[in-house]
Amino acid sequence: MSPFFNIIKLDYLQRTRSYAFLITLCASLAIAYSFVPEPNSNYSTIRISGYVGYYNAAWFGYVTAIMTSFFLSLIGFYLINSGLKKDIETKVGQIIASTSISNFKYLLAKTLSNFLILSTIVGVVFIMSIILFVLYNEGYSFELYQFIKPYLLITIPTMFLISVIAVVFEVFLGRFSVLQNIGYFFLFSALITFTPINESQFNYDLFGSKIVIHQLEEMVRELTNTDENSNLSIGYILSDIDSSKKFVFNGMDFSMSFIISRFIWVVLGFIIIAIISPFFHRFNMGNLKSTKKLNNFTENEISSKNINLLKLPKAQINYSILPLIKTEVILLFRKGKKWLWVVNLLGMLLLVVLPFKVSHQIVLPVLWFLQVSRLSDLTAKEITNNLSHFVSTSYKPIGRLLLSQVSAAVVLMLLLAFPLIIRLGLLINFRGMLAIIFGGVIVVMVAVLLGIISKGKKLFEVLFFMITYANINLLSFVDYFGALKHHRSYVIQLAVLGLLLLCASLLIKKNQLDND
Amino acid sequence: MMKLEIQNVSKRYSKNKYGLKDFSITIEKGILGLLGPNGAGKSTLLKMIATVNKPSDGRILLNKNNIIKDPNYMRQQLGFLPQDFGVYPNLNAFEFLEYMAAIKGVGGPNLKPRIKELLEGLNLQEASHRPIGGYSGGMKQRVGIAQVLLNNPKIVIFDEPTVGLDPEERVRFRNLISDLANDCIVILSSHIVSDIGTIADNVAIIKNGSLITHGNQDHIIATVTNKVFEITIKIEELSAFKLQHTIVSTSRKKADIKVRFITENPVERATKMEGNLEDAYLYITKNN
Ligand SMILES: Nc1ncnc2c1ncn2[C@@H]1O[C@H](COP(=O)(O)OP(=O)(O)OP(=O)(O)O)[C@@H](O)[C@H]1O
Ligand SMILES: [Mg+2]
Repeated sequence: MSPFFNIIKLDYLQRTRSYAFLITLCASLAIAYSFVPEPNSNYSTIRISGYVGYYNAAWFGYVTAIMTSFFLSLIGFYLINSGLKKDIETKVGQIIASTSISNFKYLLAKTLSNFLILSTIVGVVFIMSIILFVLYNEGYSFELYQFIKPYLLITIPTMFLISVIAVVFEVFLGRFSVLQNIGYFFLFSALITFTPINESQFNYDLFGSKIVIHQLEEMVRELTNTDENSNLSIGYILSDIDSSKKFVFNGMDFSMSFIISRFIWVVLGFIIIAIISPFFHRFNMGNLKSTKKLNNFTENEISSKNINLLKLPKAQINYSILPLIKTEVILLFRKGKKWLWVVNLLGMLLLVVLPFKVSHQIVLPVLWFLQVSRLSDLTAKEITNNLSHFVSTSYKPIGRLLLSQVSAAVVLMLLLAFPLIIRLGLLINFRGMLAIIFGGVIVVMVAVLLGIISKGKKLFEVLFFMITYANINLLSFVDYFGALKHHRSYVIQLAVLGLLLLCASLLIKKNQLDND
Repeated sequence: MMKLEIQNVSKRYSKNKYGLKDFSITIEKGILGLLGPNGAGKSTLLKMIATVNKPSDGRILLNKNNIIKDPNYMRQQLGFLPQDFGVYPNLNAFEFLEYMAAIKGVGGPNLKPRIKELLEGLNLQEASHRPIGGYSGGMKQRVGIAQVLLNNPKIVIFDEPTVGLDPEERVRFRNLISDLANDCIVILSSHIVSDIGTIADNVAIIKNGSLITHGNQDHIIATVTNKVFEITIKIEELSAFKLQHTIVSTSRKKADIKVRFITENPVERATKMEGNLEDAYLYITKNN
């Protein structure tokens, strides 16, 4: 095998041979399972003015292909956008920098290994969708090409482009993981809202799925004989199954120009990588790790002082966790770029001045989401910074250390939400105040729990992103901070949830330490 | 009086892969140097003593307390420097040590002066207010050493402590360790046999997860008495010579080469030398 393909292969193996990837695959399976609702379930994923398709091969193939394309564009980016970062962290980058591989080849190898990772997930979902088709069989014959066609033309090229975008973001925003996260969020939102107005503009759709959705809408429009804009919904929508009407969807004939456009998109991906390769830092980034430019200082004076063990002031035993909390808070605050705190302050200001509803429903979850890398790092930092040996030989690590990490992060979350809590207080809405406080605890606990289970950051980052996306779309199911209307007992439910998460984290952590 | 007993301890990593196998040793006050080739099981042993990992089999007793059941008994009096450790790059050395102190459960009004003394004693005071992310390898290692001494450890474990230290700092470190050994158990592993030779009272040699010898230095060096020689030969003869004897070291002198080697049978022209720990180490690991 040529060295180039070897790099891709080994990179792919390194990144998939992990516990975290296994969890990712399982999560994808769980999500894929929900793409086509079980015939008697009370929700739908793609629904046009009350219509859903009969469960034939085409409907299964196209719906799962579109949903995969949508979901993996949303979260896939976050799964793969640390390919270069890992090389920096592990210092493999320094070795790579000293070899003769060209920037273009290296970045292309990274892109392709990103792509392989996403394709692996797509492959798993693909198989799952066929299994589901057989399971839910409503008497339609199995036609493999109805599955292959949409995956090949829609999902796969999209995955390649997401891989390219991830590398581009890493090359230019390598040091600012927060900016990468937020930047992609906006890019995705912009791309998803782009609505083609005529036939040829479907070629500009990076996701490639809008043409199918358009076709579905046309079909329903013909059935209902209206010229009105049909009422399309994608996502998880609760609906009354009895009320949904059915129509036959038999797949699509894509125009030649559309097929060519998908091909051109892929070529464009290669070109983009070529264009950005001269800008790649090639791991020559000096003070990447520390924020100050004090890297290379040496001691000029050698002190002649030796440690006199007998004369050392004796420290006392002190099992208080306050000093631990203090350091955890410092670590939380120092993480990331300083100026990002300006953004946080701005967010807090918005919590004060914007209308109450907007503050609570949109600004708060977004402001909390901006802390994603702080939270995901909370328990994972022991492992990523290679401190786990110190931690595991510390005095009562579970109770003291874990609690201090949780407390520090809760302090941060509540500090950010403080303006809103005050506003609720002024409105004498104590239930609302409590909901936000419990909400803060819940995100932190989810971060801690997922960090402990997966021993990494990605799982939480992806989940938090999805939850936040759902939050600003006002889905009440994921409203963990009481922004929408709920039953009176909702606050209690939140409190119980927080407590359960805490217990689960403590138990799992204890179990992990015991079995080491 | 400190006493650490390791009784029939095994660490099994997977079905047929043992990091340590049926290992027993009793360690008392003083410095024990651990020697052994890469992958011998030194770190595996030290990590189990430090309660990082649990043995798959066997018992570890500190002053008759089973530390596998009660790891906190060990942790309260332990100072441990792992072979491979990291730091939080955004903290400075002072803050990092405060954090480690909190983790170890020590504090009080004397903590800050103690940290200050430690940093001075390890020659880090100048750097102590800069983020550790910008430290050199040896400086980071010294932060790790300072961390060991935060509490008043009664049992101190250093896994390759001298890695990255310059010669001057190595000397300083040796002095520090000898002081420590006055009333604690100190265990250190190293690949630099001479480092162990100058400071350790006792030496244990491990290979393939088993203890092959343990005793005071003189006892171990005695295994090569009358077996160490030096000879000057032509460079061309070297490869043939290597096949017949265990070579300790070579040094070139123009076309000739001076070879120190170990042999059971006397060789013509060779001068007998006094054995040292390095000779004994090579001899023992080769013949076991
Ligand atoms: N986590 C692990 N999983 C599987 N095998 C391991 C693990 N840690 C160590 N081993 C194996 O156990 C054996 C002993 O390793 P150990 O790290 O104790 O050696 P060492 O004597 O410290 O070597 P070195 O001098 O290189 O530090 C090695 O063969 C190693 O491959
Ligand atoms: Mg080792």
